[in-house]
Amino acid sequence: MLEVLGLTLGYGAVPALEGVDLRVEAGEFVSLVGPSGSGKSTLLRAVAGLLSPWAGEIRRGFPPEALGFLFQEDALLPWRTARENVALGLRIRGMPKRKALEEAESWLKRLGLAGFGDRYPHQLSGGQRKRVALAQVLALRPRLLLMDEPFSSLDAILRTQITRDLLAQVEGEGIAVLLVTHDLEEALALSDRVYLLSKGPRARIAQVYSVPFPRPRDPVAVKADPRFGPLFRKLWQDLEGVSLCAAP
Amino acid sequence: MRRALNLFALLLLWEALAFLGLVNPLYAPPPHQVLLTLWDLFATGEVWPHLQATFTAALLGLFWGVFLGGALGLLAALSPFFSDLLEPIMLLLNAIPRVILAPLFVIWLGIGLASKVALSLVLVSVLMFFAVYGGVKEVDPRLLERVRTLGGGRYWLLKEVYLPSLTAWVLSSLKVAVGFAFTGAVVGEFVAASRGLGYLLSFAQSTYNARLSLALIALVVLFVLLLFYLFGRLEARLLRWRPQSPVKA
Repeated sequence: MLEVLGLTLGYGAVPALEGVDLRVEAGEFVSLVGPSGSGKSTLLRAVAGLLSPWAGEIRRGFPPEALGFLFQEDALLPWRTARENVALGLRIRGMPKRKALEEAESWLKRLGLAGFGDRYPHQLSGGQRKRVALAQVLALRPRLLLMDEPFSSLDAILRTQITRDLLAQVEGEGIAVLLVTHDLEEALALSDRVYLLSKGPRARIAQVYSVPFPRPRDPVAVKADPRFGPLFRKLWQDLEGVSLCAAP
Repeated sequence: MRRALNLFALLLLWEALAFLGLVNPLYAPPPHQVLLTLWDLFATGEVWPHLQATFTAALLGLFWGVFLGGALGLLAALSPFFSDLLEPIMLLLNAIPRVILAPLFVIWLGIGLASKVALSLVLVSVLMFFAVYGGVKEVDPRLLERVRTLGGGRYWLLKEVYLPSLTAWVLSSLKVAVGFAFTGAVVGEFVAASRGLGYLLSFAQSTYNARLSLALIALVVLFVLLLFYLFGRLEARLLRWRPQSPVKA
């Protein structure tokens, strides 16, 4: 589905990332964690095609329109209602207006926003706006969803709820996900695989962890699994390890 | 409401001063005489062709000025070629008192409607140019990125991001533009015309008729206020997506 081979790139003279290998299979949930400034977002932007690599290769086994994005800042059009915002992507893809609005409404329902279609973004709460942004992306039926700290602005309860709904949707639709997060618990609870980046610049993949919990998965219940604690501690120690020592 | 009352009180004071003979009615005729003059203008039907002339010129100038200025502003904001071409011209036009072009327009376009529309249009379009040109630069880059990542090209960026976010800018300059449009029309008529409120005003001046002058001023003020009100309604409707606007229409 997605293969990143020996990727090197950055913004200035020194590469932020050097020789990074990463893989996402169809339907797989993969997280990317690492110290701040390790180039997590840079990697995601390169996969999105917003940055071009200095060296290495990004192989995408899907057409560009099968890629969905959800970034930290929810940028809904303030002059469009929730329903129109969700329909926007569909209309850009050429769907007739009426059909796009109907489709948008059904996605709002699936994300628990039935009856909110006519509200403008300023009339919605932060959590609801995130759900609209999510519906906007999911409505395009992506095969790979790229997310950069999408829910970090929400409080813990809202965040847990929206994460659970997100997981149900991507599991149901078989969407592959590449998530950038600084929350190790979230990474473990959601993912099939977790990549740990070393400290930047010249960050590389320090560790890869396979997460054994079965699917469908409840991201809250999974934390009670006896394997969760040890795995979390291991991940935490490794993160502290790479945060302390600079890359060679 | 309080402002209206204050204005009313001021008019009453004026009336009282005139009644007591403290102001010369030749220079400052009391409000009731101005009202009577205004009434006469309408009762005799004398004012209609003049109103029509001024309104036609102002509204045509307003419409085409907004359209032309807006289109050029958009063009300049989106293409470096046009911005290099247009910005110096517009800056120059913005710096000069544009009414000095009035005699030139009369020479080029004659004393009819066209010269008034042209002056009005120039006044309005330079204002609109900068409203739109500046407005495009204030567009939220996150919205642009969002529409791009959803796969939208120039058409969608323009339709879904640039135009709606410009609407707010344009609407707020539109009120200023109304004033400009009337300035253009009336000043154009001052310079040379056979009809129009500006023509009547210049006639009032040459006959030392302060009453007529004031009546005509009141008339223009009333119509501009009416247009302000209409634009306020339009603004409230077009910008209903905004959080409760602190300014009531």
